[in-house]
Amino acid sequence: MLQITNLSNTVADKPILKGLSLTIQPGEIHAIMGPNGAGKSTLAYTLGGRPGYEVTGGTVTFQSNSVRPELVEGLSFSGDKREEKDGASTGSARTDVGAIDLLALDPHERAAAGLFLGFQYPVEIPGVSNLQFLRESLNSQRKARGEAPLSGGEFIKLAKEKAALLGMDMDMLKRPVNVGFSGGEKKRNEMVQMGILDPKLAILDETDSGLDIDALRIVGAGINAIMRKPDKAVLLITHYQRLLDYVKPDFVHVLAGGRIVKSGGPELALELEREGYAEVVAA
Amino acid sequence: MTEVKDAAARDAAKKLETYEWGFSSDIEQDFAPKGLSEETVRFISAKKNEPQWMLDWRLKAFALWQTMESPDWAKLDIAPIDYQDAYYYAAPKPRKELASLDEVDPEILRVYEKLGIPIAEQEVLAGVAGSRKVAVDAVFDSVSVATTFRKELEEAGVIFRSISEAVREFPDLVRKYLGKVVPMHDNYFATLNCAVFSDGTFVYIPEGVRCPMELSTYFRINAENTGQFERTLIVADKGSYVSYLEGCTAPMRDENQLHAAVVELVALDDAEIKYSTVQNWYPGDADGKGGIYNFVTKRALCQGRNSKVSWTQVETGSAITWKYPSCVLSGENSVGEFYSVAVTNNRQQADTGTKMIHLGKGSRSTIVSKGISAGRSNNTYRGLVRVAANAEGVRNFTQCDSLLLGSECGAHTVPYIEVKNPSATIEHEATTSKISDDQLFYAMQRGLGQEEAVALIVNGFAKEVLQQLPMEFAVEAQKLLGISLEGSVG
Amino acid sequence: MNALALPTRRDEAWRYSDLDALATAWPAAAPELIIVRAGDSAAHVLLQDAPDDAVAIRDYRVEIAAGGSCGFHVLNIGGKLGRVTISVTLGEGAHFALHGAIIGGCEQTLEIVTTVHHAAPGATSEQVVRSVLAGRATGNYLGKIAVARDAQKTDASQSVKAMLLDRTATANAKPELEIYADDVKCAHGATVGELDKSALFYMASRGLDPATAQTLLLRAFVAGVFDGIADDAKRERFEAAALAKLEALA
Repeated sequence: MLQITNLSNTVADKPILKGLSLTIQPGEIHAIMGPNGAGKSTLAYTLGGRPGYEVTGGTVTFQSNSVRPELVEGLSFSGDKREEKDGASTGSARTDVGAIDLLALDPHERAAAGLFLGFQYPVEIPGVSNLQFLRESLNSQRKARGEAPLSGGEFIKLAKEKAALLGMDMDMLKRPVNVGFSGGEKKRNEMVQMGILDPKLAILDETDSGLDIDALRIVGAGINAIMRKPDKAVLLITHYQRLLDYVKPDFVHVLAGGRIVKSGGPELALELEREGYAEVVAA
Repeated sequence: MTEVKDAAARDAAKKLETYEWGFSSDIEQDFAPKGLSEETVRFISAKKNEPQWMLDWRLKAFALWQTMESPDWAKLDIAPIDYQDAYYYAAPKPRKELASLDEVDPEILRVYEKLGIPIAEQEVLAGVAGSRKVAVDAVFDSVSVATTFRKELEEAGVIFRSISEAVREFPDLVRKYLGKVVPMHDNYFATLNCAVFSDGTFVYIPEGVRCPMELSTYFRINAENTGQFERTLIVADKGSYVSYLEGCTAPMRDENQLHAAVVELVALDDAEIKYSTVQNWYPGDADGKGGIYNFVTKRALCQGRNSKVSWTQVETGSAITWKYPSCVLSGENSVGEFYSVAVTNNRQQADTGTKMIHLGKGSRSTIVSKGISAGRSNNTYRGLVRVAANAEGVRNFTQCDSLLLGSECGAHTVPYIEVKNPSATIEHEATTSKISDDQLFYAMQRGLGQEEAVALIVNGFAKEVLQQLPMEFAVEAQKLLGISLEGSVG
Repeated sequence: MNALALPTRRDEAWRYSDLDALATAWPAAAPELIIVRAGDSAAHVLLQDAPDDAVAIRDYRVEIAAGGSCGFHVLNIGGKLGRVTISVTLGEGAHFALHGAIIGGCEQTLEIVTTVHHAAPGATSEQVVRSVLAGRATGNYLGKIAVARDAQKTDASQSVKAMLLDRTATANAKPELEIYADDVKCAHGATVGELDKSALFYMASRGLDPATAQTLLLRAFVAGVFDGIADDAKRERFEAAALAKLEALA
């Protein structure tokens, strides 16, 4: 699904990522943890294509139509929709696009290709309602993929369903994007947007920060419901173990000094929580 | 004739005693012939033993000035100035070279004492151990008479001279920068200054040097009918820093006096100049009689990368003030700041503000202006923020607040915002308010007299600016605000 | 002074104008007089959408008697030079509200020039102007609030925001206060900037193409200016004209 090889970049001429490599297969949930300033948010923004995040080396390959066969119940292994496990595509039900060079795309093209970036600090857009924003976004994506736009009625139905999933009031969706939202409401809104846009790969940058325990549980359940599927993957960026109690990662990585310095299973997150980053990074 | 008028002025001062610094001293004066002609210009130049290039420059300016027309400003009500009815040069008669401050004319020292030169400096002048160092280049009328701490400054490589001395001793430096920031043809009064500037200050801070002390100059208009045409030039070389304090008081006069100074600042790469002014010249009496015309051209060129110039001014004096300390921000990431408190009372007119000309990428500016109007005065903030098409990422923040005391005065805000680059972020805010009866009552209920209460509230209003002043000035400035507003409420 | 003399740059009200274009249409017609009687309320709308090569000078004199109120909506998008001048005099307790939008491209010079005289106590005024400028266009707002000596309890506000889409475009603003009364509330705010980069990226990250994102943000930027037009058909006409012009700039 996503293959990052030796990725380096600079922000305002300052090197942040220094040869980062990471492979994410469909059906997997990865967590990236690390100390402040390690480059976690930089990784998210770089994958999203934020201007000012200059890639200086490495490649990122994204394959939105990959699927992990053993996770798909009842999938025929003899069909022509079978995927190679290493990622080389042979086509899919949704699109015939193969592996693409993610870095060559503009941010909105990355989104249309199936990449969703959950912002650590969701941006306020005064005067533009959530619903209008999302409908235009979704239809813009659909158009790019050669799909028909959703009608107003279809869209409202979809929005209602996803808002309910995240326990969000429809009234909030009518308000301007993130304007006047509390920290927790903004994060919940991000998840509603993810539900509506239905991406293949979600990169969630500290989605747990600013959430109380109840909201954390709802958001965790939302992530599982929307993204835990054989043809999707999640990259969770987080400081703390607590979100991982709700969204169980398959892999945990430690990011320090602009590179992945250690990888492991879910137990690594617990170890980090116990020992601290310094200990684990040094080991 | 002069003595008669002097005596009359002294009498008036005694009677009125409303202007704390209204007195006149009896030092013998050496006058240039009254009036303005090419001969006057030659006389001034000769008196100062100037090199030929300096005289040529003056004559060129004079010829230019004769072709120019006196400007008329929208909100200023100016009586015509008779340029022939004034003396353009007045200097205390030369005495032998001074070895120390003890040798300074005791009359001059007494004048400074009466002026209430800040305690810190009086201690310095008296040689009190441990007092904070302030170098004073005192301009008494037109000529510098005492320069202290010259030696310590010289050890640091700092040049701190009267401009007349600098013309003779450092001609190359002076020629390189004189008129570079404020060109000769800039405006009517600047051109006049070029022709007849009497004295002023030259400062050069060499590369990488942090000036070891605050530099201070006291301008004082003493002689009657003497136009005062100071010329200040401060050059901060790469990576240097200097804080310069300019303070002014003038004795009481019945006739308007013209003050048309030019101040030029140049900051090279990573250099910083902090220029602070407290101006409390004679504002005229309650009916608007007398007082100084203050038509000053102050401009800084932030030429270098990351250079910074910060103007702070507290303007309480003068009958008419027309001044816009400005910054040409041509260096990349250069910074310009303008912090101003302008108080007008009685019949005073002030039209002051700044110009921030953004030419360099990433240049930033901050403007904070606090105007306080009382009596029948008019107080105008006039400011320009201009962003050139090539100046990417410019930021400006402007805050203009006006406070009106009484219903006879005027408070005006005239901002000009001209932007040609889409990446600029320009924010301008202005408010107008008065001291509320509740505030006044609250303060008085706590035991403050009405004038104290007003002074307190006004100082609070101006705090953001006063905080920018060096310690020596902050205390004096706070007192001045109170004194300037005496009798304005009630 | 000769009233028919062509203005020069030295005239404050014309300092940013296109005087060459003006010369072709000078002298301009006499101002249109709008009188609002005591206690009455009036609403005026102006959609200035003259052809590209035209010079459109629209001049209004508004006199609002005690207790009267007048709302004025302006959309200034047409002409090589499109200039709307409104001079308002407010009686005691009168109210004036201007909601204006300037949307310009190509070589257009579009101006809104106002003078609001608070001549008597207790009057209120509100001015909201939004400008969007692209190409080599120049957008000017010169607004003066003049509060007379006895006009206590005046409450006047100006909010000016300009958005530049190209580095060849120019925005000029001069929100001026001239105040001779002490018990007043006068405030103005002016900002010039470009579209919020983080909002643009946020929108792109949701899949919006840049042109749509820009139009959406610009629509939001001028949205609200015409909300107060009571007549639905008129309001929709203004909104449609604004949107069409914005889309032409994108």
